[in-house]
Amino acid sequence: MRVWHSVAVLIVSLLPGAAMAATPTQTMAESLLAALAKTPPVSTPFVQVSYRGVLARPLIVSGTLQWLGGDRMQRDIDKPFNETARIGDGELSVQRGGGEVHRMPLARAPQAGAMLAGFRALLGGDVAALQQDFTLTADGGTAHWVITLTPHTESLKRQLASIVIDGRDNEPRCLTVSDANGDSSITLVGAMAEQGLRSAAPLESALAARCRNPK
Amino acid sequence: MNSGARVALYCAWLALIVAVGWGVARHLKISSDLRDFVPPARSADQKLLLDEIGKGPGSRLLLLAISGAPRARLAELSRGLDDALAHDPGFAHVANGGSDLAEVASDLLPYRYLLSPTLDTHRFDAAYLRAQLQQRVEDLSSPAASLLEPWLRRDPTLETLKLAQLWAPQRQPKLADGVWFSERGEALLVAETRAAGFDPGAQAAAIASLQEHFAALPGAAGAKLAISGPGWFGVEASRNTRAEADRFGAITTVGFVIMLLLAYRSAVPVLVTALPLLSGAVVGFALLALVFGHAHGITVAFGFTLLGVAQEYPLRVFSHRRIGVDTATCVRELWPLLATAIASVCIAYLAFFASGVAGLQQLAVFTIGGLVTAGACTRWLLPRVVPPARRDMAATPGLATAWHFLARLPRPRWLPWLVAVAGCAVVVLAPGGFWQNDLSALTPIPTAELQRDARLRAALGAPDVRYLLVLRAKDAQGVLALSERVAPRLRKLVADHAVDGFELPSRYLPSVATQRARQSRLPDRGDLEASLQQAMQDLPFRAGVFAPFVADVEAARTLPPLTPAGFEQSPLGTRLESMLVRQGDGWVGLGALSGVNDPAAFAQLSRDTHGAAHLLDLKASTESLVVAYRHRILVALGVAALLLCAAVTLALRSPRRALHVLGPMTLATLLVLVVLRGAGIPLSLFHLVSLTLAAGLGLHYALFFERRTGDEREDLRTLHATLVCVASALLVFGVLALSSVPVLRAIGLTVALGVAFHFTLSVLMAPAAHLRALDGSLPDSSARAESGTGPDPASPNPAPKRGA
Repeated sequence: MRVWHSVAVLIVSLLPGAAMAATPTQTMAESLLAALAKTPPVSTPFVQVSYRGVLARPLIVSGTLQWLGGDRMQRDIDKPFNETARIGDGELSVQRGGGEVHRMPLARAPQAGAMLAGFRALLGGDVAALQQDFTLTADGGTAHWVITLTPHTESLKRQLASIVIDGRDNEPRCLTVSDANGDSSITLVGAMAEQGLRSAAPLESALAARCRNPK
Repeated sequence: MNSGARVALYCAWLALIVAVGWGVARHLKISSDLRDFVPPARSADQKLLLDEIGKGPGSRLLLLAISGAPRARLAELSRGLDDALAHDPGFAHVANGGSDLAEVASDLLPYRYLLSPTLDTHRFDAAYLRAQLQQRVEDLSSPAASLLEPWLRRDPTLETLKLAQLWAPQRQPKLADGVWFSERGEALLVAETRAAGFDPGAQAAAIASLQEHFAALPGAAGAKLAISGPGWFGVEASRNTRAEADRFGAITTVGFVIMLLLAYRSAVPVLVTALPLLSGAVVGFALLALVFGHAHGITVAFGFTLLGVAQEYPLRVFSHRRIGVDTATCVRELWPLLATAIASVCIAYLAFFASGVAGLQQLAVFTIGGLVTAGACTRWLLPRVVPPARRDMAATPGLATAWHFLARLPRPRWLPWLVAVAGCAVVVLAPGGFWQNDLSALTPIPTAELQRDARLRAALGAPDVRYLLVLRAKDAQGVLALSERVAPRLRKLVADHAVDGFELPSRYLPSVATQRARQSRLPDRGDLEASLQQAMQDLPFRAGVFAPFVADVEAARTLPPLTPAGFEQSPLGTRLESMLVRQGDGWVGLGALSGVNDPAAFAQLSRDTHGAAHLLDLKASTESLVVAYRHRILVALGVAALLLCAAVTLALRSPRRALHVLGPMTLATLLVLVVLRGAGIPLSLFHLVSLTLAAGLGLHYALFFERRTGDEREDLRTLHATLVCVASALLVFGVLALSSVPVLRAIGLTVALGVAFHFTLSVLMAPAAHLRALDGSLPDSSARAESGTGPDPASPNPAPKRGA
């Protein structure tokens, strides 16, 4: 998928210490330009597993994630229920099962903001915009790389501990959002999402290990 | 009196004016309370209007739009301004879309089951709770999960969020970067001032502080803050009016000084003419301070206009001075006539005093005190500060020619009657409204600002300034109950597009009866726990996670219902406070309406509630007050006119002579009306006051032209004085007539026209005999007499010259 190629190129730009940084500058720049020339929308299937304090077992939803360019994205859940969430212009709107559309400012829904931030990092390459709110760190090599986004603004820190993106080669695999209150969610994307889950109630540690697994 | 003593007295006089003026300025409060100026309210709605004038939710709102910067910065500025205004005691409420109403609602957390309408239609049984919990599971995987999670254990049915939604504006602008934005990309805010909307002083202070807050924000330099709303318009209108008045004032002052220099060839009149008028004004203000302690802004404006008559007193003196004759002697000769004019006008203004309206009484006190003082200063002080005359104004070149010309004008006797009949016909028959009841038409808002206001108002769903829904009951609970009863009716009106939106007191606080009914539907602890357990089956929630919910419901069952006083302690309290007010021995609820498209649709609602709930058209009510007020003024003016006629007749001791004075005045006033009506200009209060001023000036012209001196040089001096007075009045008011501000134009046009007509008619209707007296006797008149138009058919023979 060309999308993931361009994602990889962006990731390269975020991974100065990684093996792929050895790629000649010329090639990288060309690829980067090619990546920027990609016009949204880009989409990927996803599976999200949420671990919440109030829940005895994890909550699993799946569907399609779309990045529509800039700060706009859409998440369609089709299992186990239908829901469309749209993010754009600093607003989050949620419509469940064709019902009423609920709107709220993105500032009050940090998880949605975090999800957008992660996807912008992966797909949009708007590193400068991200660095306003997050500290970016990268680690690993082609077999497994990790980008960590840690919020450094007070308002975000109150809600959000970190966003971790795991990937392999040209492909991101997981997006892990950890809330400040200890809750977390792991979103599998791309090939990982297509593979699906191996258990109806996967343990958080097991799923995290799978994201990190270079195989 | 030597010149040193004169200068000393002059300086002392000036110093006294300044001292009294300063003292008065410190003690006299200028109020803008319209209640002073309107007759006592007759209907309950008029009373409400007066009590609550400008206090209604709509009229205190300022709509703000920030533009001229990238969106992120506009959002920052919006948040900064929101924060600054929230801490400003001048503002009761501010919103930019960014505030979290759920946080507000959390203050009332224990009351949520009593305030939220959920229990009206549902019970907390297993089926309802299961449906709710099922939705919460779905919510937890939504991107907004963290918004919900803090509430979940205590409030799984999300009553707090339901209240937040209930209290959120019904129509909100779109949110971007967490704050409201218009379609044009302006960041939008609404700010509610504590001051009443029609309190210009307090509004100006609030707006100034708002602008300061904005300017102090980081990054505000490039951005533009646009303000709209009734308070802003009032402040803008008075600023524009004052700016234009100042501009014209400067022009006319220069013109006036040049004219005085030309007319008198001396600097003395320039230095002295203003003093009697100024003395009159400070004494007038001092009387207001002593008698009333305060003065209404309108009193000051109208009073100053009416006091303009006093400007003529010193001019008359200067024109009548003679070489070698003491100024005091000249003044003494003039005094009977001046005193007649002053006394007649003062007697006439007594009618205002008897009107019983505080504002008009203030006007009478100010004007009478001012005129008497100005007259006394002219009579006793002025002669002591001016040096002896070095010129006789009778010798002014061209004056004799002018006299001759005026004396030769044809004076058909039927002319006044024709003017009277034709004038009455025009005034009565001219199409168009006779009166201008809409006071705002005199200080109109520029179209661009009006359009912006409509745009912002629609975008923000801000309440209509013109309409209010009035709910009356004998106590606050009655109002709340009525409000609950009419809410469904209003929703129907919204559905029918009669109105775009509404906000009733019961939206914030249900009546105690409703709260008790909801309370009675809350299950007891045992039932709730059982239902909850049943509802949670097969759902992923941990056992016991909803214990705080069970405890809260149990507590709510015995909670005393929330009263208005209790609700007003909450952050939303000010909203309810402005919507629920005590009036007399009853209570009134003020429902805000936005976008009233069909006021007539509210008639049925009013009938069904026997008038307890009805639409109040603030514009119509204000206009009805204006009509009542004008009625008072007209009655006062009518009585004043009668008193004036009596006073003039008595002073002149001859009805015939009085007719010569009062005839031109009446006809000239009629002619001004003819012109105004003919031009399709509806008359406002300002026209009436201006007509009164013009009539006061006209009284002088007529009195002086009617005077029989028998001395041709004295007659020439009279003409000189009158010409200077007419020219100065035409200059001041003629320039004002060119103003773009309608209220200034109304005053300027009316007085300028009045002066022109009064002068013309005073000349044309003066007793022909003594005007003619000079004809033929003046050095330059004989040549003209031969080439002239011949004898006037109305008075064929020049009357014999009267001996001294």
